[in-house]
Amino acid sequence: MQQRRELDQSYTNRKLLNGQLDTPKWWAPTVTGLGILVVIGLIVIATMINKGLGVTGLGRPVFWGLFITTFVFWVGISHAGIMISAILRLTQAEWRRPVTRAAELLTVFSLLTALVFPLIHAGRPWRIAYWITPYDISRGIYPNIRSPLIMDPVAISTYLTGSTLFLYIALLPDLGNLRDRTTGWQNAMYTVLSLGWRGNPRQWKMQTVGGILLSALMLPIFVSVHSIVSWDFAIAPAVEGWHSTIFAPYFVIGAVHSGVSAVVTMMALMRWLWKWDDFIRPEHFDALARLLIVVATGWLAFTFLELIFAVYGQDAPELALREMQMFQWPWNLLFIIFLLTGYFIPVPMWLFKRVRTNIALMFWTSILVNVGMWLERFLIIVPGLARRTPFVYTWEAYRPSAVEWTIFIWSFCWVTFLMLLFSRFFPLVPLFEQKESQVFTEDVTIGRAKVPAIVREAD
Amino acid sequence: MTTENFGNNNWGMVVDVDKCIGCNACVLACQAENNIPLNTQDRVERARSISWIRVERYWEGDFPDAKARFIPIMCQHCENAPCEPVCPVYATYHNAEGMNVQVYNRCVGTRYCANGCPYIVRFFNFWEPVWPESLRNHLNPDVTIRSRGIMEKCSFCVHRIRRETRKARSEGREVIDGTIQTACSSACPTSALNFGNFNDPNSKVSKMKKDKRHYTLLDQFATDPNVIYLAKIDADKKVAAKHD
Amino acid sequence: MTSEATAHSHETEHHAPPAQVDADIIAHELIATTTNASKRFKTIAWVLGIFGIIGIIALVLKFLDQGSDSTKWGYVAALVSFLLSITGGAPMVAMAPVMAKANWVRPVTRIASIFSFAGVVTIGMLIPLVAMLPPLVTEGARRRTIWMEAPDYSPHIWSTLGLVLLFITGIMLFYSAAIPDFAAMRNHSTGWRQRLGKRLARGWVGTDSQWRTLRMRIGMFGTFYFLILVFVNFLITSDFGQSMVPGWRDAIYPMYHTVSSFQAGVAGIVIALWAARRQMNLQKYVHMDAFWSLGRLLFALTLLWVYFFYSSFIVFWYGRSANDIATLNLLVKGPMIYAFIAGMVLIWFVPWWILIWNKVRRGVNGMTIGAVIILIGLLLDRIRTFVPAWSVPPERIHEKWLTVIPETVYPSLLDVLIMIGGISLAAVIVMLMTRVVPVLSVWQVQEFNLLAKPIRYVRGHATLVAKPD
Repeated sequence: MQQRRELDQSYTNRKLLNGQLDTPKWWAPTVTGLGILVVIGLIVIATMINKGLGVTGLGRPVFWGLFITTFVFWVGISHAGIMISAILRLTQAEWRRPVTRAAELLTVFSLLTALVFPLIHAGRPWRIAYWITPYDISRGIYPNIRSPLIMDPVAISTYLTGSTLFLYIALLPDLGNLRDRTTGWQNAMYTVLSLGWRGNPRQWKMQTVGGILLSALMLPIFVSVHSIVSWDFAIAPAVEGWHSTIFAPYFVIGAVHSGVSAVVTMMALMRWLWKWDDFIRPEHFDALARLLIVVATGWLAFTFLELIFAVYGQDAPELALREMQMFQWPWNLLFIIFLLTGYFIPVPMWLFKRVRTNIALMFWTSILVNVGMWLERFLIIVPGLARRTPFVYTWEAYRPSAVEWTIFIWSFCWVTFLMLLFSRFFPLVPLFEQKESQVFTEDVTIGRAKVPAIVREAD
Repeated sequence: MTTENFGNNNWGMVVDVDKCIGCNACVLACQAENNIPLNTQDRVERARSISWIRVERYWEGDFPDAKARFIPIMCQHCENAPCEPVCPVYATYHNAEGMNVQVYNRCVGTRYCANGCPYIVRFFNFWEPVWPESLRNHLNPDVTIRSRGIMEKCSFCVHRIRRETRKARSEGREVIDGTIQTACSSACPTSALNFGNFNDPNSKVSKMKKDKRHYTLLDQFATDPNVIYLAKIDADKKVAAKHD
Repeated sequence: MTSEATAHSHETEHHAPPAQVDADIIAHELIATTTNASKRFKTIAWVLGIFGIIGIIALVLKFLDQGSDSTKWGYVAALVSFLLSITGGAPMVAMAPVMAKANWVRPVTRIASIFSFAGVVTIGMLIPLVAMLPPLVTEGARRRTIWMEAPDYSPHIWSTLGLVLLFITGIMLFYSAAIPDFAAMRNHSTGWRQRLGKRLARGWVGTDSQWRTLRMRIGMFGTFYFLILVFVNFLITSDFGQSMVPGWRDAIYPMYHTVSSFQAGVAGIVIALWAARRQMNLQKYVHMDAFWSLGRLLFALTLLWVYFFYSSFIVFWYGRSANDIATLNLLVKGPMIYAFIAGMVLIWFVPWWILIWNKVRRGVNGMTIGAVIILIGLLLDRIRTFVPAWSVPPERIHEKWLTVIPETVYPSLLDVLIMIGGISLAAVIVMLMTRVVPVLSVWQVQEFNLLAKPIRYVRGHATLVAKPD
């Protein structure tokens, strides 16, 4: 256990508000560059909608491809926020504190990105309103609530609303702080946004209760979102690789795996970009990596169960699909990369404390995990469709086109762009959490040893 | 929902595989009848060809003794269709006459129904359909031209069914068995494809359905199709089995 | 010191801060619990023991009578699964929070790891079942199995070995955490207990390196135990459940069984803790903190159970393929619908509404009622899955899916006696083990007292919890 540092409150303020009060030099060029890429991506999307889905590489029977994979990927990343903020909050893990804001942000922005994909992936996106909102009831038809594609937008928009509220509630004390330190239009903006936050006991109590209530309410939504996404696939009996009862928890735990890894990536970046070495410390990476070891191993067990019960039935089509997925070119290469990057490279490395506390290594391993997790989704969705089925003369016909890859890359630029834009106006590390953790930790002497201790509510 | 009453019908098809000679006349007839865009080389290569009915050919045995087997596949109009519950906008649903219908106007093109279908008989319009100038006037005015971005599939030539049932109703009579033929069944030179009403116990298809050769495709999905197949009679095989 | 301790026990239970008790007093009082068995304790132990013996006799009779008809053995399979859930799940529940360095769990670990000993009943019940199991390969045809190529002796020997390995690991886990207590018995107890302590303490004096080894061992056996537990659940559920039914392909079922095994484990611990607390006057050591945290764990597991159940149910129900329909017809419809509904109500709905209240989780009795309800529900759930699975005649096991749903098997008198006997036997083993070692781990309770202390914080009360590395 390394020695805890006493951090001066004004130092904390100065350091953590440096994005808002004096913008770093790299900020403007980076945001502009990303903005150009985002605009290019938007133009490509517009072209695709204008011309039709023929510009993708999709065909028959691979009707879903890169877009749906990326949709699932971003929904997965969005599970970071609630995992870190809500679950760790309810289980009172102290180390969560500097990470919460970044994780919640990741949730909101990745959900916003994820929502784009099913929309642009539809054949007639301009009619999508018919899906989600039964506004045109004169047709006499309500949306088909039996369809997972209706449950999806419901779950995701609930999750998005909840996470935004969660983010906002946690932002209030910091907004009050910013309001007191800014002038001009910024002051006006923060005044409106901070909703009259003064930091009196009643407000703190409401803020805490609100946070805990939202945590508890968000948990079922958190689980349901990715479960429903998984049921998009699992309920289709005709697609061999999809019809598995394990999909819901398998997807959820995989989402936590990739989401928490994405948080690690983001923390490393934040530490480097804003030089927040005092706040995002190796011990936080250590704790996250320990969590990741458990999550990843659980996820591996689910992967194993999924595979073994796929071949367990000894059905010829299922065996053929698995044969293709694991042993046929090019799927076999992807499968090996998926296993290595998803588990067998990062997790053994994380077993060593030296790796867990090395920020550069954590950054790269966490990126590896997300490469693996993206491939996992790809390997579930595409081979399942591309398999050779009875009575069909086309199969294995999918190669993602340049348009699809561009939009895929666009999604990453878009999330980073939103993050950086956010960082200009709002602190990425919650100041009040940082200060609270300073107040709640104490060193106690037990026998000969000095041990860190935490103040807990008496029950 | 639609309120027009078309009578108590359960349309279906009986495919006698024994009679199929693999001539593809049904495919062509369907293509012409239903305004299906031309399957150009590019579309076929990119696995985007559309053919509501197709004749699958299988080879049995090795070269000198090789035998070609044919089986026509079209939408099976399942009673328990996996494509129906997954559509978010009810663009595909089961109507009162045992048909699985596709409502083009509602379809937003999620392609979920196509993933759910074990027979892979649903097709997506990746591009706006185009025909060469010379074929423009060949289009069937009874059939909607499907724009890009929506699904389509075999409709059991629903326009023919509607025309005939309305005509019968206006004349105050029942539909006479055999007057309604789909494009494929009317084109079939060997009467391998037979269309009719399963609710009418005296119809040709109802009688054929009772044949002990009957089976349905992919019964492990319990889809309960309205397309019934009659198995191939293989004289050689029986003899071979006896010699064993 | 004693007056202070009694003062604490008279305080309202809800706000009792961890009592600061001297380490020696803890050792004395806890070791004394091994000897002072009350009359009621003895009576209960005798009654349970007699039930257990009747159960064993019933099992032998059943084997002699119905040893050739595997379709009649569903209830024994359900019992094995149920006992595996409790006796296997409980030690795990103790281990998981230890690794997460939770303080509340320290007084609970011993009683949890004692459950391992009752695993011997599970093994005993499994032996006739193994003899009943139809072979994997009949006339050259392999049936569905997790043993892909169906090697020799699978699944019979390997499943049994898995269960035995789980039992041994559980004992090792118990023992590695009990060494300091055996030393305490050596120092404080008398008679055969002292001799036993002397032998098993293996020269424990509490040096730094001994403590390091101890913690390392607990961590190692704990991890190992967890892996084996998941694996054994996987073996038992697929060999004795899923692979008996053609077309039942449920990838989540082993995990579902594992999760409900944790649930059964926590419920078992709550009941045992309640009994120990009442019987041996351990109010001073078994704090509300433990019930509070166990309550939250049980609540979470209840939700997790229903989630796992629903995940599997929706895929069958929505998928509607032939084997999906057949599986649901077998496991959920027919007379099993009552067990299914009762399971839903007793495992999830009622406990959920009981445990959601903070007041209940801060108290002892509400928690115990919830735990009992959950265990009844879980037993019904096991019956719902294993009895239909075993009712499929072996000659139909090779079908692609069940075309005919077999008749439901209702329990015979022998089945009832076996079930009562098996559960009583497991209970009596746990009770007897509390005569051998203190029911609460002495060193863990001492540590608990050392690491948490009540403080005044700003304007209120708080607890300062030390988190050593």
